[in-house]
Amino acid sequence: MSAAAIRPAPPTAAPPARKSWRAGDRRWGMLFVAPQAIGMLLFTLIPFVFAFVLAFTEWNGFGLPRYIGFDNFRDQLTSPLLGRSIINTLIIAVITVPIGLFLAILVATALNKIKGRPFYMVLFFTPVVTSTVAIALIWQQILRPDGVLSDFMSRTLGIPQIDWLGDPRLALLAVCAVTIWSSMGLNIVIFMAGLQNVSPSVLEAAAIDGAGPVSRFFKVILPLLSPIIFYQSVVAFISSLQTFDLVFILVKNAGPDNATRTIVYHIYDLGFAKSQFGISSAASIILLLLTLLITALQFAAQKRFVHYEG
Amino acid sequence: MAITISRRQFGFFAGAAVAASSLAACSGSGSGSGKGKVVWSTWGSPEDLKSFDTFQEAFKKSNPDIDLVFQPTPSYSEYHSKLLTQLSSGTAPDVFYIGDDRVASVIRNNVLMPIGDKLSGTSISEGDFAANVLDIGRWEGKLYALPNDVNPDTLWYDKEALKAAGITDDPAQLAADDKWTTEVFFEMTAKLKAAGLTGAVYWNYWATHDGFMTAQGGKVYDDQGKYVAHQDQASVTAMEEYAQRFQSGEMKLADLLPEGAGSDTLLVTHKLGFLAAGRYTIGSIRGAGVDEALYDIVRWPSIDGTAKPTGVAASYLAVNAKTADTDAALKFFSSFLDADGQKLRLSGAGNAVPSIKGADDIVLSENYPAHAQTMLDMRDIGYSNFATEAAVPDLSNQISVELMQPLYEGKSDAKTTLEAVAKLVEEKTA
Amino acid sequence: MTTTTVDSPPKTTKTSGRKILGIGAKHLVILVAGLIMVAPFIWMLLTSFKGLPQLLQDPLSLLPKPWVFTNFADAWNALPFARAYFNSIYITVLIVAGTLLTTTMAAYGFARIPFKGSRALFVVFLAMQMVPKQVTLVPFYFLMAKIGWIDSHLALIVPAVMVNPFGVFLARQFIMSVPIELEEAAMIDGASRWRIYWQVILPTIRPGMGALAIITALDAWNSFLLPLILLNSTDLFTVPLLLSQFQGQYGGMNYGLVMAATAVSVVPMLIAFLVGQRQIINSLATSGLGGR
Repeated sequence: MSAAAIRPAPPTAAPPARKSWRAGDRRWGMLFVAPQAIGMLLFTLIPFVFAFVLAFTEWNGFGLPRYIGFDNFRDQLTSPLLGRSIINTLIIAVITVPIGLFLAILVATALNKIKGRPFYMVLFFTPVVTSTVAIALIWQQILRPDGVLSDFMSRTLGIPQIDWLGDPRLALLAVCAVTIWSSMGLNIVIFMAGLQNVSPSVLEAAAIDGAGPVSRFFKVILPLLSPIIFYQSVVAFISSLQTFDLVFILVKNAGPDNATRTIVYHIYDLGFAKSQFGISSAASIILLLLTLLITALQFAAQKRFVHYEG
Repeated sequence: MAITISRRQFGFFAGAAVAASSLAACSGSGSGSGKGKVVWSTWGSPEDLKSFDTFQEAFKKSNPDIDLVFQPTPSYSEYHSKLLTQLSSGTAPDVFYIGDDRVASVIRNNVLMPIGDKLSGTSISEGDFAANVLDIGRWEGKLYALPNDVNPDTLWYDKEALKAAGITDDPAQLAADDKWTTEVFFEMTAKLKAAGLTGAVYWNYWATHDGFMTAQGGKVYDDQGKYVAHQDQASVTAMEEYAQRFQSGEMKLADLLPEGAGSDTLLVTHKLGFLAAGRYTIGSIRGAGVDEALYDIVRWPSIDGTAKPTGVAASYLAVNAKTADTDAALKFFSSFLDADGQKLRLSGAGNAVPSIKGADDIVLSENYPAHAQTMLDMRDIGYSNFATEAAVPDLSNQISVELMQPLYEGKSDAKTTLEAVAKLVEEKTA
Repeated sequence: MTTTTVDSPPKTTKTSGRKILGIGAKHLVILVAGLIMVAPFIWMLLTSFKGLPQLLQDPLSLLPKPWVFTNFADAWNALPFARAYFNSIYITVLIVAGTLLTTTMAAYGFARIPFKGSRALFVVFLAMQMVPKQVTLVPFYFLMAKIGWIDSHLALIVPAVMVNPFGVFLARQFIMSVPIELEEAAMIDGASRWRIYWQVILPTIRPGMGALAIITALDAWNSFLLPLILLNSTDLFTVPLLLSQFQGQYGGMNYGLVMAATAVSVVPMLIAFLVGQRQIINSLATSGLGGR
């Protein structure tokens, strides 16, 4: 949000005109806020409360929900499936966020002030405008054990065919790779905008100091970008906690041995595939707590690692 | 320059929003609303669903007053997830398919219309249907669902693959002579494996395990609906012997084959000897453009070489208890299931075998595969999924994935596995 | 490393040669990386022209042999793609237009018109921004069933338009940067709040809202989980949901057809992007947001 230069609030001396319609002003305020506020109440807050209530019940969708206290949470917190889902989801986040952002910064730096940038940007941005379903269908074929990638690797490296999506050790890595690939373009755009705000004089000064491109990258560019890196990592981390579409289409039934089961897949599976709506709600509350915890941790880390100019 | 939205454009958007939200409001086709409307649903790939075109056209023509809406879902498991959610939220279609591993559990939720006493005056009656697949459509003396059609898992075999493995006997001929023994079959799968091919491929579901056991003279459930396979020596031995073949790689589970080398692909590229599958395989063979005369079917082998009962996969049709227009729904229900309806749906390279009397000639009239009669024979002596198992949602699937699969993968032995199944069944049905 | 002293503009041939080499290498690396990015799409297009015999016998050859053009017609005929395009386009347009309207309205209310409870309400918005949508998936479904919006596009459009705390937050940032003097001048002229919003605020924050429009459009167009659970009739399906029907049985053998269907769903979007790529990328860049 670097571009939005926030102006200080004006002095409080109210102009005389304001008084004349102050009485009706409050109503205007509520009117303006109303559509979003009503939507928030109706489509988020009420379902949110209902999710909390459901989490303490047993309900298969037929008849009335039955109150069972903390049983669902007990069930889920000891469930190897939920554990698996949380670990998988965290692995996706921990692998895709740093690697994805790092690669994006590299490309953005390389693209900074280069001829033919629009052309290159189109190449990198193409996956961003492609729906996840289409991406999954394409990669599903490419990653087949008898597919192009496996064949290419076995011919160049002399290794046997690899069943990327069928091997429990590899399926999650394949999901990560596709995620990095598909989100690259958006991250590059953000960092390129950030780089444009870095004044060229800073880089020149570093060059005069005798810093090579590598040390310039790590000592100057990365720290200067750190506020954006922080913001992007929060956003990317939270959105990778919500990974669903890709694994749902790319890998059948959450993969071999549930190798690619994510938390949202777990919520969908319990609720919409197994009709265990109470347990599903409990799992979604756990997702919420996890999201809050991780965001809090990231903001705590921000104090240590992020350098704000001035 | 960046995209900017002018005020005029904004006004246009706002106008469009109002205009089009009325459009959106009309486009909703809430189920069961309005007279003379039938919403129906099933699963199937776009290709499979084409077999319903002829029937739907004919139905619309003879029932111009009924508005027919079709809501298909491609995958079997996703379809049932959706159906259950729809039933619980009161948004389910008027008439819908249910798989044989789910039907009994859906019936027990009191969301289906009892149809037994409503059939008089329609084109079908209970007695028209093959009795051995009717059982799980009943609950507490009432009938809730009828079989659309059935699919006995015949063994499709590839003569070219058998020849490549040096097998000279024709399985169908052996079966005709009652010499189609398990021993001969296992010899064939071993030879196929030795020739670098896959011996046999099965789908990991109830009819596979249960068929292994009953074809070898074993029992799975007793007459009271109690799981007894673990106490039946014939069943345990059968599972042990088959599991060995899976572990050695002679046999494989279709579910675990990698994308792109699936069971159909193996069959049409002559890399597979036997595939346990239904009549829909005709479509796969013809679609691939291979010489279809190379393929034929045979029943499952038994110890003494004679025909033994095996599982018959079936799908069921039911009517929503909350349907708005019972007459229209029943009209569709009976037209779909009667002999004429089944002929319309299943003729040509249809994907299943009729469940009703008087439509069998559609299986035979094609003269393909050469021993098409085998499908009818297997249907007549076979059995549908056991009601005990089908009464618990997902139980059949859980047995297959969590218990039987480890057995086939060599992570457990037959006795332990069947005991675990017995325990699970007891837990879930308690 | 290079002799960059400010007072020697005419560069030596040695350094410029080196520089050209360096720039050439840079271009080469970026080009290779870029081609890796689009390689899957090229592969998709080539495969969509392959026939079943080739896919079975010789799946690895790069070029179709022979070129088969029927896959596209088959894919287009197998499912109502035209209808799905219509659905996706009008749903996306409505969501974008509605979202821009409601979020900027709410943002203006929060930023500039004090009323009782305004602050508390804004804190609720901030907090709700953190709640993943999937947390309320089950109750949301049953709510839609209660209202009667299952199998209706209203369930996709109305909640998306009326709930976008991130958009409100973003628009508020932009509105706070609008000089209040502009507003005051309009007030003295006797303009109503609505007129100030419409004639002063909106035009000023337009550039920033372009980015919100793009992000919202991408999200609406790609949305999959909600259409998956909410829509039943094929005629109401959106493009991603319709495309997902091709997974499964089709994928096993005749994946040339699947790739043709995928291409049918991807290519129009790519063309639209190519046409507007400069504006799209610049809007995103100037607003500095990539929140998805």
